[in-house]
Amino acid sequence: MPPFALTLGPVFFHWPAERLADFYRRIADEAPVDRVHVGEVVCGKRMPFSDPCWPDVIERLERAGKEVVLSTLAAPATVRERRSIDELCGDGRLVEINDITALPARSGRPFVTGPFLNVYNEVAAAFLAGHGARTICPPVELSLTAIGGMAHARPQVEFEPFAFGRLPLAISGRCYHARLHGLHKDSCQFTCEKDADGLAVDTLDGQAFLAINGVQTLSNQVHAFCPEPSALAAQAVRRLRLSPHTCDMVEVAGIYRALLDGRLEPQEARHGLSRLDLPGTMVDGYAHARPGWHSVAAAG
Amino acid sequence: MWPQRMELVCPAGTPATLRAAVQAGADAVYCGFRDDTNARNFPGLNFSVPELAEGVRFAHGLGAKVLVAINTFARVGEVDRWRRAADAAVECGADAIIACDVAVLDHVARNHSGRVRLHLSVQAAAGTPEAIGFYARTFGVRRVVIPRVLSVQEIAALNRAIDVETEAFVFGGLCVMIEGRCYLSSYATGRSPNLNGVCSPPEEVSYDEDADGMAARLSGFTIDRYRPGEPAGYPTLCKGRFAAGGKASYLFEEPVSLNAGSLIAGFKAAGVTALKIEGRQRGKGYVAEVVRAFRSAVDAVEAGGDAVEIDRLLAAQSEGGRQTAGAYRKTWR
Amino acid sequence: MVAHAQTMNAELPAFVRRLSPAFAALPLGPALTLSLRALARRRPAVFERLGEFRRERYFIDPVDLGFAFTVVPDGERAQVSVARKGEAATCAIVIRGPLLALLALLDGSRDGDALFFNRIIAIGGRTEAVVALRNAIEDAELTPADFVGLDGPLARLADAGVLGGLDMARRLAAAAPARAGREP
Repeated sequence: MPPFALTLGPVFFHWPAERLADFYRRIADEAPVDRVHVGEVVCGKRMPFSDPCWPDVIERLERAGKEVVLSTLAAPATVRERRSIDELCGDGRLVEINDITALPARSGRPFVTGPFLNVYNEVAAAFLAGHGARTICPPVELSLTAIGGMAHARPQVEFEPFAFGRLPLAISGRCYHARLHGLHKDSCQFTCEKDADGLAVDTLDGQAFLAINGVQTLSNQVHAFCPEPSALAAQAVRRLRLSPHTCDMVEVAGIYRALLDGRLEPQEARHGLSRLDLPGTMVDGYAHARPGWHSVAAAG
Repeated sequence: MWPQRMELVCPAGTPATLRAAVQAGADAVYCGFRDDTNARNFPGLNFSVPELAEGVRFAHGLGAKVLVAINTFARVGEVDRWRRAADAAVECGADAIIACDVAVLDHVARNHSGRVRLHLSVQAAAGTPEAIGFYARTFGVRRVVIPRVLSVQEIAALNRAIDVETEAFVFGGLCVMIEGRCYLSSYATGRSPNLNGVCSPPEEVSYDEDADGMAARLSGFTIDRYRPGEPAGYPTLCKGRFAAGGKASYLFEEPVSLNAGSLIAGFKAAGVTALKIEGRQRGKGYVAEVVRAFRSAVDAVEAGGDAVEIDRLLAAQSEGGRQTAGAYRKTWR
Repeated sequence: MVAHAQTMNAELPAFVRRLSPAFAALPLGPALTLSLRALARRRPAVFERLGEFRRERYFIDPVDLGFAFTVVPDGERAQVSVARKGEAATCAIVIRGPLLALLALLDGSRDGDALFFNRIIAIGGRTEAVVALRNAIEDAELTPADFVGLDGPLARLADAGVLGGLDMARRLAAAAPARAGREP
């Protein structure tokens, strides 16, 4: 059986440059992941803060033998944001496309599609593969079976289900952190920086439900899909994506590595994850074609 | 393209509404088939194939166009069902297909080019010259329904950078999230706009009375609460009241609807080709009333009428219920 | 809108209400069943629009009458029965409101959404079945003649007569003191 690979997706949150540098230094040295995404995906206004740290981060990761992917914005709007996409798409490294805006600039060279791009069926997957898609991280609401349907039909593309982290559920033109603080997006004061895993959104009856991160809305719960390696192989899936949080991501990666190597049973992996400082309870409904907040493995 | 008269595109959830909208002065109506190939897949709504054929005959007889929305994403292994819907729309004589999925766009471009126009649905979330240009070059898309996140100034700049028509929402429901990129509904209910053509579906809705009044819930999640006698709302996820950062508020958006009636002249100046009224789930009486008002307002703008006159024509549409001009004004963000 | 809400919110004047318990003793169910089936024969598309929900049991509860109805709108197999108020639990769907509001819903003169969101009618149970019913009625453009199976000039007379009567009842109801407990 060929080995399974692990990807660390882009950081969705507005972490200060120092925190990013520290985080990736540890990932480079200690995390058993094969591929690491870097770059701002959620909000173009944050880019001036993080941009300066990326050259060192990339160098460090590559020295440690990681494959680096440059992630691009999910909802580019301004001229500056569009230009940043164009520049990143010119790079020789792999690039992650999160909006069709990037496609003309990258077509013909290899790229990854992120969970913000609507790839729902084998025809769309083939279309993107024809333009250069090498890895597809499908929309989070697709089940493993649906992903497997695409993977079987398109063996030349690698499919990478979103396996760990708060689920990226929506993106808006409006900044909810700014709105919550009585501000507008254009003069937002970067209040999203205070919530390094997003800010919890509960219902009026006190149910944990969602989380906001600037213009992004995530699940409050942490998607923690821990399948049997054989279940992944049966769906022709050979790679999983882990999404960064402030909890010990080296430990998270270690648990998934052990799970994929067959050294940990799924329930042991879930138990290991549950002992970390996660921002929410664990769910996995989407992977099982259920509502995203359902927890199928825990019930089983 | 600019001197052209702006087109008024109106919703038709049922054949009766199609007739009402056309008679009220719609230049075009948009509708969908009675299944999950369209993004308003609500029980009791939409068209069978014979009903669409009859609707097209009726509309064409009065000089109106029919645009068929096939604007969900085809499911793995079921792409043919979406292709057949597109074929059926063409057979019925539809003037355009509104699509977002590459599988549907590609099918129509390959097989029906010249027989039907392709419009890019708002669900495709194409809001930059690069994205729109890509869809235009690759599939021959003729018109883009612009995502409801751009201001009027940005739409004007966009129109200068592209050579396809644009269609802007002007009235009705308002998505606060970028459409086609929102999975809130499936997170709570298992069903979503992209996959099932529904948001916050009615089978997951419950209205529960208790000591504090009534709770509107979606799959058990409380989306809003109402005191006894307080006007209630449908528990659409992004219009709910939630607690965050220690306070309860309509965090994403108030339960408002879009009314950009005062911006019609601005849209004209920004080079917008068509104005779209949302509301395929609304009744024929409501649709006819809104279409009539916007018909006269658009005609007045085209004839060079002033803002006072436009406001007067649309006055009835701004009563009752809270409204917003949404992202068209930059302060919304 | 507010004026509509007031009209729709009004209950039947007391003298009309006093008459109503007697209706329950009439064979109202069979008569309504027959007229619904007759409608299904003439306009099958109305019922097709209901899809799977045509086999559901709807509990229609006019709060200002002493009894309620259960309706299974299954086309030519449709079934209407008079029911006791307490029987709501036997149905998957409950629609409750003043009789005039419920009738306005049926003839399409008022939009169900507006009646519901203004808390004039209340719904319980399977919301999707209520949505389907509302959309089917919306498209049907029903007239009173549709229910009694008339055609041509007679139908127009019947429509004018029944709708005129309904209008009068609404005006009477609107003139009656508004129901306590709700300030629109």
